[in-house]
Amino acid sequence: MQEPDKLTVLTNPKLTEAKTAIEKALLQKRTIIVAGNCHVHYSGRARSTLELGERLLIIKEDGALLVHRPVGYEPVNWQPAGSVFHVQTKENKLEVHGVRQKPRESVLVTFNQIYMVSALSLNDSGDFLLHATEDDMHRAILMKPELFEEGFKPISWEKKVEPGFVDIYGEDKDGKLVIIEVKRKTATKEAALQLAKYIEPIKAKINRELRGVLVAPSLGKDVQRILATMGLEFKELDPKKCAEVLKKTKNAKLETFFGEDSQ
Amino acid sequence: MFKLKVTDAKLLRDMATAISILVDEATFKIEPDGLKLRAMDPSRVAMIDFEWPKTIFEEYVCNEPTKMCINISELLKLLKRASKDEAVELSLDDKTGRLQVKITGKYSRDFTMPTLEASEEEVPTPKIAFNVKAKTTTQGLSQAIEDAQLVSDHVRIEADPEKLVLNAAGDLMGATITLQKGNDALLELEAKEGSKATFSLSYLAEIIKAASATSDIATLEFSTDMPIRIDFQQQKEGKLTFFLAPRIETD
Repeated sequence: MQEPDKLTVLTNPKLTEAKTAIEKALLQKRTIIVAGNCHVHYSGRARSTLELGERLLIIKEDGALLVHRPVGYEPVNWQPAGSVFHVQTKENKLEVHGVRQKPRESVLVTFNQIYMVSALSLNDSGDFLLHATEDDMHRAILMKPELFEEGFKPISWEKKVEPGFVDIYGEDKDGKLVIIEVKRKTATKEAALQLAKYIEPIKAKINRELRGVLVAPSLGKDVQRILATMGLEFKELDPKKCAEVLKKTKNAKLETFFGEDSQ
Repeated sequence: MFKLKVTDAKLLRDMATAISILVDEATFKIEPDGLKLRAMDPSRVAMIDFEWPKTIFEEYVCNEPTKMCINISELLKLLKRASKDEAVELSLDDKTGRLQVKITGKYSRDFTMPTLEASEEEVPTPKIAFNVKAKTTTQGLSQAIEDAQLVSDHVRIEADPEKLVLNAAGDLMGATITLQKGNDALLELEAKEGSKATFSLSYLAEIIKAASATSDIATLEFSTDMPIRIDFQQQKEGKLTFFLAPRIETD
């Protein structure tokens, strides 16, 4: 198949021209943007009707569908990736019908006028980089406990302890029980109090030495003193350092292996 | 003109199940000597390569090569209505472009379903020099994958001349599953050099589960950080092979 151009744009096309262009772009799995006057019917888990108005319809190469009004950041109608599309002209209208099988959901966009159709072949292999979340910090400590301290052995994480969940719980090199509360930003007084709240009921239940440690990149004003009065500790840990520990993997695409006699 | 008939619905149902785990819209190549399908899943990580010679079918008529695209999960729904020993007949109505599905047994049912626009994409075969070839029982392989799934969502598959090892590392737990030469689950192992590659367990599990209905013996072929090829030997004639791209580290 001939490689399609990067960008194809039709301005003020006839509905039949738009139909041909959209069908072709769907077949080539390109990203499609249609601007026009349309109404939208959704049926599936609920039903909705969006009355006539001027909007953008976006169909992405993976079959995700979005209808955007001229305001707001959220789409008014959408279907996730993997939808199947059918395009037809009917009584001076162009219908774009996106159907998803499980659960059965259907979005029908009916245009009576189209201002623009564009089809794009977009290459995007870049990763979205987000520095470690709190959850990443948990995982990093579990994978590499020495991030917390030498000799620490995690036993469980997100362990339910009334009144909530303890982030990480384990044993230090001296056999003391350790309760860890992780924060990805400067730890506040509230974080210290939260940790204290978890510690109390556990202390009451077990007859064993217990350490409560607040893990965060830094401590807020006066929090050190609060921790000290409650017999709790602070351990500095940078979320970025945690991110480095977590080996990031992604799935390669099969196409990478077509044609080359690789070894 | 295209028409095929099987006396045991299970055959068609298992085939449709295996295809449905990767593709929603399946474009079959219908040729005088049999039925073929080769397609990648929407995320283009896995591929199915499927061939059924006409000799498997009770009846098979194809006058000229054609393509037929159908929604495979919809077809599967219809095929699930047939009990084990009921006969199923598929025929393509050239005039209406609809597929007719006729199930006969205790009583008879005629379903019709639309065909879709056939995909023009020709999917090539990944060209890989495989260093390891391991023949396992499909059941043994399936259980090893289930073991690994207990602790992680991906698995490193490794082999040396003596053994095939599946290594899964989760956040807290780990698993090492060893299929040693001589074990019941490992039928043959050839390793030109030590090789290892990591794969998504959800893909592997789905592929193996679906294919196990059609096959008792699976042949794995892989090389370090290359896609794995898994061929499921069919109980009758025919070919069912999957390719799955590895997981790779990103910086």
